[in-house]
Amino acid sequence: MLRDRRLSGEDLSRIDERIRSDWSVEDIDFEEAIAYHESLPASKEFASVLEDADRPLLQPRAGVPRLDDQIALLGHLEDAGRADLLPTTIDSYTRDNEYEKAQQGLEEARESGEDTLNGFPAVNHGVEGCRELIEALDTPIEVRHGTPDARLLAAVTFAGGFQSFEGGPVSYNIPYTKGHDLAETIEHWQYVDRLAGAYTERGVTINREPFGPLTGTLVPPAIAIAVGLVEGMLAATQGVRSITLGYGQVGNLVQDIAALRALKSLGEEYLPNEATVTTVFHEWMGGFPPDEARANGVIALGAATAAIAEPDKVITKSPQEFGGVPTKEANAAGLRTTKQLIDMMREQDINLDGVEREREFIEESTRSLMDTILQLGDEDVARGVVEAFDTGKIDVPFAPSDSAESAVLPARDDDGRVRILQFGNLALDPDLKDVHTDRLDRRARAENRDRSFQMVADDVDAISEGRLIGRPGGEGA
Amino acid sequence: MEVLSAMSATVILGVIGSDAHAVGITILEQALSTAGFEVVNLGVQSSQQEFISAAQAHEGDAVLVSSLYGHAEQDCRGFHEAIEEADIDPITYIGGNLAVGQDDFEETRDCFREMGFDRVFDSETKPTEAIAALKADMNIAESEAERARLTT
Repeated sequence: MLRDRRLSGEDLSRIDERIRSDWSVEDIDFEEAIAYHESLPASKEFASVLEDADRPLLQPRAGVPRLDDQIALLGHLEDAGRADLLPTTIDSYTRDNEYEKAQQGLEEARESGEDTLNGFPAVNHGVEGCRELIEALDTPIEVRHGTPDARLLAAVTFAGGFQSFEGGPVSYNIPYTKGHDLAETIEHWQYVDRLAGAYTERGVTINREPFGPLTGTLVPPAIAIAVGLVEGMLAATQGVRSITLGYGQVGNLVQDIAALRALKSLGEEYLPNEATVTTVFHEWMGGFPPDEARANGVIALGAATAAIAEPDKVITKSPQEFGGVPTKEANAAGLRTTKQLIDMMREQDINLDGVEREREFIEESTRSLMDTILQLGDEDVARGVVEAFDTGKIDVPFAPSDSAESAVLPARDDDGRVRILQFGNLALDPDLKDVHTDRLDRRARAENRDRSFQMVADDVDAISEGRLIGRPGGEGA
Repeated sequence: MEVLSAMSATVILGVIGSDAHAVGITILEQALSTAGFEVVNLGVQSSQQEFISAAQAHEGDAVLVSSLYGHAEQDCRGFHEAIEEADIDPITYIGGNLAVGQDDFEETRDCFREMGFDRVFDSETKPTEAIAALKADMNIAESEAERARLTT
């Protein structure tokens, strides 16, 4: 039965053998892998670079199928983009554990020279391929993906020299997949986290980063933060000691700053003291304008938010976000735009009205959700979160997963802050719910229409159409 | 236009392959239902076979395929051959970000038209455009059906 309990060494090696039968990879020697990590320079130690920084570090997203191309791409982001941290984004077939399809895509890419996969198939490249990548760059590299069952990917990439791994059992299940059972996904991630813990105990700190933006579209901050806290707690149980909690920009400056501050303070409150908590801010994850100049505006607002809130890390977007995977030049441009804004604004003392009030509201709402989760699990966070999703007491808007009710629907209030239009069974205190309803009523009156799904649809498109709030009349109105 | 709203056309909707982008089809489902269509939403990560089985089981008049993650070409390979083999003939649309990287949409459109899709939409398309297209395309089907009924 699922428990939030540390896996034993025996569990670890038993699972280790089983996952390697999924796809033939060479044997992984843990001692040899530790020695390999120890041979790397301090400048490639992901956790210490991140935790010791005195300003927000910038990291793009990037992944192409072929090793040489991935080295060239990351080299460009390092040189022309001045990235502080690098990513390797994994392709969608690997995320689905479809290693055969990934292999086919990789071979097509090698033959045609075209990027037939949307990321780097790290399992297919194997430990040696990963190490070549790590050695070719000067900057620490994180594995970024969206894999519900990431056990094999973790085993290969940790042995391959990566020291940071994005995701978690909720954040890489609920937004990323339809059919994976949440309880099973938690067990799979207990292995990933225990493996990270095993490296950590040997002096090789593996940084773990729950995926904060979830479905990336108008996610109410308290929901995103609660999920991050749950995943952070689960990781800490398995011995993870470097945890980066995430949050995705919603576009309202006050709400975003408040959410980042709440994320940091709640992280320190809920996670054990042995774990070092850092935060990451994702520039807008929803639909982008189909125009690079306007897209730069969206990116710049994210950068300005980061300059004021000062998260430990910022994941940047490129001005070509609208069209899918960007060119390396556009990707580097997104980094430079962000850096320019942050460096100009960071030393200014900027105080915004309402941040504290919004932060308190987010913290209260998050606590309300966390209380429910812990209560449902009888203080066991693993069982509690499964039960909470099962009953819709915790829920994520636009979630494709059968493990979530997906009954909660967000909309912006008259100030552009993300509120909740339909709660489903979401376990928020009634007085907190009233705030959402009042705020949305106020918008409805201002727009002379009823609160309805149409608001949600309008808000989803608003930023790509050039504004924050989806007012009636649409584009240009 | 009365005829159109009265005929309850069935639309099969889903995201193909390993793709999990759910926001677009959630909104499209609402818009299609509001416009009077019967909607069968397969959700994300649907296989070709799931689209075909649903089209057979629900006598789908149209199959709307969504893809946002760039693998659409690989995911849709052989789709129209399989539809033909299943002995059904729905209208087929595809929409989204259909190629990895910064593509020229006209080339992408041609590519998917050649694969057999009746219409190809980019990711900027509004639900209203897809609904207008469906109504136009089905009107033809409707009048043919009417004619068929009248002549037998």
